[in-house]
Amino acid sequence: MNEQVQEKNIYQPHLMEITKVIPETGDTKTFHIQFQDASLRESFSFLAGQFAEYSVFGEGEATFCISSSPTRMGRLEFSVKRVGRVTHALHQLNEGDPIGFRGPYGNHFPLDKLKGKNLLFIGGGIGLAPLRSLIHNVVDTRADYREITILYGARSPQDLCFRYDLESWGGNPTLTIVTTVDVGDNNWKGKVGLVPMVLEEIKPSSKETIAITCGPPIMIRYTLKSLEKLGFTPSQVWTTLEMKMKCGLGKCGRCNIGPLYVCKDGPVFSLEEIQRFVSDEF
Amino acid sequence: MYLKITPKKLIQWLDGLKAQAEVLTPAKVDGVWTYTLSDLQTLPQHYFNSCIPPKSLFFPSLQALLGWRSSDSSLQLSSTPPPDGQRAILGLRPCDARALRILEPVFLKDYQDVFYSQNLLRTLLLGQACRAQCQGSFCEEMGIDPQDSVDVDLFFREVPGGYLARVITEKGKDLARGGDFFEESSAGEWNAARREIGGKRDNPIFDLEKVKARVGERFPDEDFWRRVSDKCINCGICTYLCPTCHCFDLCDLQMPGQGVRFRCFDSCAFPGFTKMAVHNPREEKWRRYRQRVSHKFNFFYQNFQAVACVGCGRCVIHCPVNLDLREVLLAIAQ
Repeated sequence: MNEQVQEKNIYQPHLMEITKVIPETGDTKTFHIQFQDASLRESFSFLAGQFAEYSVFGEGEATFCISSSPTRMGRLEFSVKRVGRVTHALHQLNEGDPIGFRGPYGNHFPLDKLKGKNLLFIGGGIGLAPLRSLIHNVVDTRADYREITILYGARSPQDLCFRYDLESWGGNPTLTIVTTVDVGDNNWKGKVGLVPMVLEEIKPSSKETIAITCGPPIMIRYTLKSLEKLGFTPSQVWTTLEMKMKCGLGKCGRCNIGPLYVCKDGPVFSLEEIQRFVSDEF
Repeated sequence: MYLKITPKKLIQWLDGLKAQAEVLTPAKVDGVWTYTLSDLQTLPQHYFNSCIPPKSLFFPSLQALLGWRSSDSSLQLSSTPPPDGQRAILGLRPCDARALRILEPVFLKDYQDVFYSQNLLRTLLLGQACRAQCQGSFCEEMGIDPQDSVDVDLFFREVPGGYLARVITEKGKDLARGGDFFEESSAGEWNAARREIGGKRDNPIFDLEKVKARVGERFPDEDFWRRVSDKCINCGICTYLCPTCHCFDLCDLQMPGQGVRFRCFDSCAFPGFTKMAVHNPREEKWRRYRQRVSHKFNFFYQNFQAVACVGCGRCVIHCPVNLDLREVLLAIAQ
């Protein structure tokens, strides 16, 4: 293989090895992965909010955010809900199996705009994955931020992802964490209700606060309305947009909305930006 | 700089090029006009736009990107080497030549696609003036001169007794200089060789500036897009034959012990193009048609200061239900 050529082929993934598989829920798993090439383990860097293209060779590539934090390198993590061809194939993989990785791609959460502010994280289901990268990041540089509140919801207690993180955040006195489920069970001690309803119930102050939300489109839509009611202006609200992607390089055309390519110009956008270009397609 | 050459000497010059390069010309292959290897017995004459655009020589409908060999214990990746070998395309039309320039930033900006860049680097572009209006075409409405082009290396005009050539690039100049095939000509001769285009319309169909000014305003008009896309059958032929459409898919082919990842054409006309697990922003046909027209005439222009259409007319004449883009553009402009 010609090494020089390989470097120039933008579609060529790096080989990585799965070092751990964590079942999150009945249909979601988190994978820990490591570059096969030891020099890349050292040189690779990314920022919270960026994503990558992950390959199961023979099945194809799929797009997921990097759900681990840039402040905790040594391995990368990503989380996958089983819904289609590549995600089914990923769920078959075990520790030691190879996967392909291209990235990091896209923009990132605006850390410079978050510094010195109160942070309000609002996540739903697997939508906690990109937020988790940022939450770990700000927890590791805690002094740069004021109050941090995390509101996380899922359909049922069994559908909560990253329970080990929820537990550790719950035990961290510098964080406020509220969990909610649509339908509880006998052991459930958190709140019961949809994320936007619980948001309006806990009434976080919008003063000097940045809200960052990610979750299913329907949750985002109503959460944005609730944030508006609570006095958040569009420039105080950030989210990640989801669009079908293939290349991740701004070429294949799939994630184009208006003049933007979600893969290249996003996936992180402020509500202010979204209102400027997103039409009736979201 | 202008040159002239006789048909016989042009064939000899091209024969000389053949020692170092493949020479491709427009020709009918299995009943379909395309660009293919030429034996150079004759020069291309009186041909219209090919059905398959020369885009396919730079961005092929199927391109292997990488491969792998796998066993139970190991997996080795290998990158597909970028294309090599010099080639010359003779008889490129101004619209298709412009389309190649329009595609350049898509493949070369930010992340450089080595397959496209190598194909550009290894190809000498020899353009040729049109003599008649192609069916369905609207090149002049799109600001393209069917008798001139600066998007090639050398551009030829037919004259009695041979050809005049306008030298556009250094590469073209260097290649024309070798041997004593070409003779000096002049701007005067070149200008005198401009001919009336056969079948040319008296008036333009639409005003491109008005289309550009209004296409954004039209975007939210659901009734308009429903009306103009009504007869579309989502076949995608307009996108496959379009010299500037470039949407693609990445797919894997697994065989026993080995596999290939390739890039192939895809189309925004297909409902599955944007389909995700729980949501498809362009489930409805009118949204997909709106996306295609808006991308070409609005979004692409915003990003690259060029409209992604050259008026070649392929989408007009090959559409199985006669959905005529020219009528849609006229309706947008009105």
